[in-house]
Amino acid sequence: MIRDAIDGISAPDGREQVVRAVSWMVLFAVLHGGFRYFGRRGMLVTARRVEMRLRRDLLSHVIRLPLSFFGRTPTGDVMSRLTNDVSAVWLLLGPGALTLAGTAISYVLALLFMARINVMLTLVSLAVAPVIVFTSREYGKAFHRNHRKAQESLAAMNTTLQENITGIRLVKAYGLEEREEGRFRAACRDYYRHNVSVSKTSAAFHGAIGLLAGVGVAFVLLMGGWLVIRGRLTLGGFVAFNAYLAMLSFPTMALGWVINLVQRGGSAMGRINEFLGIPTESWEPVLSPPRKVPDAPFLEVRDLSFAYEGQDRGEALKGITFSLRKGEIVGLVGQTGSGKSTLFSLLLLLYPVPPGTIFLEGRDVSLLPLDEIRGAVSLVSQDPFLFSDTILANICFGKDVPDEQDARRAVSMARFLAEVEELPDGLHTVIGERGISLSGGQKQRATIARALCAGGELLLLDDALSAVDSETEQEIFREILSVRGGRTVLFSTHRMASLSRCDRVLVLEEGRIVEEGTHDELFSRRGAYYDLYSRQMITRELEAAL
Amino acid sequence: MSNGAEFYFYEDRVETRGMDMRLLRRLFSYLAPHKGLIAVALGALVLGTACQLAGPYIIKLVIDRNIMPRVMEGLGRRIGLFFAAQAGAMGFLYLQMFTVSIIGQRVILKIRADMFGRLQRLPVSFFDRTPTGRVMTRLTSDVEALQELISSGLVSTVGSATVLVGIAAVLLWMDARLALVTFAVLPAIVLFVELLKKFIREANREMRRKLARLNAFLQEHLSGVAVVKAFVQEGKSVREFDARNDEYAAESIRLTNFYSVYFPGVELFASVAIALLLWQGGFRVIAGAVTFGTLVAFLEYAQKFFSPIKDISDKYNILQSALASSERIFQVLDTEVSPEYRQLPPGGKAPPGRAEEPGGESGTPPAQPAIEFRDVWFSYPKGDGTGGEMVLRGVSFALHEGETGAIVGATGAGKTTILNLLCRFYEISRGEIRLFGRDVREIPREELRRMVSLVLQDPFLFSGTIRENVEAGGDELDRAVEVAGVSRFSASWETGLATQVGERGGHLSVGQRQLVSFARALSRDPKILVLDEATSSVDPVTEHEVQGALGKILSGRTSLVVAHRLSTILSSDRIIVMHRGKVREIGTHKELLASRGIYHRLFSLQFAPR
Ligand SMILES: Nc1ncnc2c1ncn2[C@@H]1O[C@H](COP(=O)(O)OP(=O)(O)O)[C@@H](O)[C@H]1O
Ligand SMILES: Nc1ncnc2c1ncn2[C@@H]1O[C@H](COP(=O)(O)OP(=O)(O)O)[C@@H](O)[C@H]1O
Ligand SMILES: [Mg+2]
Ligand SMILES: [Mg+2]
Repeated sequence: MIRDAIDGISAPDGREQVVRAVSWMVLFAVLHGGFRYFGRRGMLVTARRVEMRLRRDLLSHVIRLPLSFFGRTPTGDVMSRLTNDVSAVWLLLGPGALTLAGTAISYVLALLFMARINVMLTLVSLAVAPVIVFTSREYGKAFHRNHRKAQESLAAMNTTLQENITGIRLVKAYGLEEREEGRFRAACRDYYRHNVSVSKTSAAFHGAIGLLAGVGVAFVLLMGGWLVIRGRLTLGGFVAFNAYLAMLSFPTMALGWVINLVQRGGSAMGRINEFLGIPTESWEPVLSPPRKVPDAPFLEVRDLSFAYEGQDRGEALKGITFSLRKGEIVGLVGQTGSGKSTLFSLLLLLYPVPPGTIFLEGRDVSLLPLDEIRGAVSLVSQDPFLFSDTILANICFGKDVPDEQDARRAVSMARFLAEVEELPDGLHTVIGERGISLSGGQKQRATIARALCAGGELLLLDDALSAVDSETEQEIFREILSVRGGRTVLFSTHRMASLSRCDRVLVLEEGRIVEEGTHDELFSRRGAYYDLYSRQMITRELEAAL
Repeated sequence: MSNGAEFYFYEDRVETRGMDMRLLRRLFSYLAPHKGLIAVALGALVLGTACQLAGPYIIKLVIDRNIMPRVMEGLGRRIGLFFAAQAGAMGFLYLQMFTVSIIGQRVILKIRADMFGRLQRLPVSFFDRTPTGRVMTRLTSDVEALQELISSGLVSTVGSATVLVGIAAVLLWMDARLALVTFAVLPAIVLFVELLKKFIREANREMRRKLARLNAFLQEHLSGVAVVKAFVQEGKSVREFDARNDEYAAESIRLTNFYSVYFPGVELFASVAIALLLWQGGFRVIAGAVTFGTLVAFLEYAQKFFSPIKDISDKYNILQSALASSERIFQVLDTEVSPEYRQLPPGGKAPPGRAEEPGGESGTPPAQPAIEFRDVWFSYPKGDGTGGEMVLRGVSFALHEGETGAIVGATGAGKTTILNLLCRFYEISRGEIRLFGRDVREIPREELRRMVSLVLQDPFLFSGTIRENVEAGGDELDRAVEVAGVSRFSASWETGLATQVGERGGHLSVGQRQLVSFARALSRDPKILVLDEATSSVDPVTEHEVQGALGKILSGRTSLVVAHRLSTILSSDRIIVMHRGKVREIGTHKELLASRGIYHRLFSLQFAPR
């Protein structure tokens, strides 16, 4: 168009031709704008949708990964893949692809038009292309290396930050603020260093590309000038050729940026795929799940051994064998680190369990669908975790829709109702992250209520009342015992009073069951159990004498 | 998650009108220390721009002097000149890009460190009410957005403005009328940009908010993943996540739509301007008013003129997003620090009754109790800044140096709260807390921290080894590890004290975690030891042994313990019985049993077999 206009200037009906060319130009600009609008919108919005989808799929995969995965992967790392990496993919698919498409289109069109004007000149202008391609490839590699390091130091920085925030009380209590600032600053500085080297290569690349483009233009000027002088090219053609070449300078300069995005998006996608490649835990159940055996014990554990992966501390459980009848209340005791919590998490299949070791009503659990087992077992873990939501939503966490009636019943059984009702919003009171606005005992009772509300047939209480005073503890036990019809309970505790109420006690020692029997039997046997609890007994007798 | 949760947490929404200048000024204050580098960057920019601007002029010369008159002479020289200009431009571009990015990185480094430092000094109640994921978002993606502004925005905007002014000058110099034609579309562009700006800013702000929400959700559900699994709620969690993810996507799509109008819009204006120029310029060339070379140079310049305009309007957007972020960053930096981190005004706000006391600095009179609560009232601060229900109601008690006090009471009675206040995690509403006769509000923070060693009810460990965790408390590693019973289990492990404890200590059993945090408290040499159910998950045998060993190192130290197990309570000198925020009974074990009150009931229940 520019060429027409310029050539028109020297033609006889100059003005008309100029006007015509200019109106065409405006029309094209409007059309171009419209296309750009729809193209842009179409591509970017699609990329956003892909981003959303990817993030969702990634989360829904990650949340189904085995617990051991979370044991070895810092939360900060998982977070950074779900956020930063997914965003990097969006940048690649959205702005990156858009720029790339724009670049490609500009190149093809411009080259076509340029070729129409003069093939020779076009070839001359392309002389530097191979060098540009080569430089870009080398740059891509360098960027990839630097970027990966930067990414790693970013993850380290995030982990430090997250840990600091979650442990802020401790930081304050021990006056660790300066130490923490030092740690964080070191992490930031590391990140800074890597970023600087990233930008160094990036700036160098930009400069180099610009220089190469300059060489190209110089060639064209020389050659083109010569051609015009020789009369083998019109002046308008020469000017238009230069204009097209100038149009290419921006896409060429943007090359570096696109390469960054591609590298970044590519390695982000790699990191995402790494997670997506880890198999999730819900293994497919066999076609015909085993049927219940009528007179089998409710729960049976046969020769169960277990070691945490990646640790060389030996087996946490060694050949555990025991069984629970339906409706039985059984205590589990043992020293700290003897494997009680480990056993509880295995009963819930939170870690992989070898086949033929755990049986629920006669059925090997490794052949049952995971949700059936976890639905049948309600665990109150030793470390109470609550969500920053209303008490009601927390209590009904195991249900699809919150049911206030059920929640109230469970809260009342957990002896938490009176306190909840005193709160201004009752069950609808929002508690902070991890239930921070509740006292330790309140948190524990809320988790007990949550388990009661879920209503599994097997209730596992892992030292779930340690922060509750003994008066309340006894009341809760009475409640649970009073509705024992059908519900089987396995609980661990360090308080003897509750042990004297249950049907049977299992004693664990260094991952083995060493004793089994009622409280009285075990106490009179003067073995491991006696050693554990005689002290409490003696204090009691001492007091009785007072 | 229900909607209620949204109102509980500190609101993220920031309303700012006409704040931009203030924000910018603050941002500039971060740039100030890098004056030298900025000067280099600007210098490189100006020189680079000059080199770049020379390009079209040289082309004009080539056309007017070589091509039109068809002379080869001087063509090579001019092209050499052109190439030199280009090389100069690129050299300066490199310099400029590199320095600018260093400036950006340094500013960000500083802002991050400042934010982190501020974070360390915020009151505990801030963290009670701000989800971790939200705080993290501010230190990460908000800061990155700001960096983007500095690295690719501030300096290059100055650069673009320079180019703009430079080109405008050249154009006016070459031909004033054609120049004015080129500028004709400028008012329209400004109007257009201003019109969209409001929407873009708002959408940006919303998007950041939604992102923070999304991150908070992720953070929480990842740390509670065991619960999600135990209750088979993976599906529900994903659904709830979806809602947040959708919100975020919707907001970002809205923003994308605005941008989709914005960029092509600006470009359209530029094309119109060039068309105008061609039209007018063409006529004038035909009329012989300007030379042909001038028109070509004009076209080249006009294109170079509109690229900084596009650039500036693009940067204007980065600016919008960065301003949305910096609002949130400065919000953190402006949150008031906890009072203990503020300098005490000399002789300032001494509480009444302190004036007549002798200067407590040199040797406190022995009569002063080590810990004293005088009619303490307290309520946890709520999100709106008001206090909630009173949690402590007129708590008074005293504990003398060397004594062991035990706080007992039902859960939720306020035991932990008392310890929190003793460590000054929160400010009391009424009354006084004194340590060795000095109001805790007057004891400098470092001194208070050295004086009191606390074991939290919720044993938190940093990821790292057992040794690193214990040493975070103080230097007396060996003794602490021995007394707290850590060596009971660590000794049998190959890695011993170098065992990694995992995030939050997750690779240890809960009892082991408690023992490690106990050891941490013992590794320093505190005057006051405060234990909040420190061994509640530890078996009786270990607990007994720990207590035996503890007795030896406790002599002469004051300790305040919260415990439910009688074995722990029995050995204390004074028992404080709490009930619903009030001290109901104080005395020794015998006295309290004899008075047949709450304590008697608690005690007899603990061992009553049925
Ligand atoms: N996630 C884990 N990774 C590695 N080791 C663990 C993990 N959890 C517990 N252990 C180790 O396994 C042993 C048993 O722990 P646990 O079952 O929690 O004991 P407890 O009987 O106190 O509940 C302990 O020595 C502990 O250090
Ligand atoms: N951070 C907090 N924000 C609001 N309320 C809190 C917070 N911590 C504790 N509470 C409330 O204060 C009361 C006393 O809690 P606490 O002192 O922890 O009890 P305990 O005696 O069991 O240690 C409880 O009702 C609890 O819900
Ligand atoms: Mg345990
Ligand atoms: Mg407590």
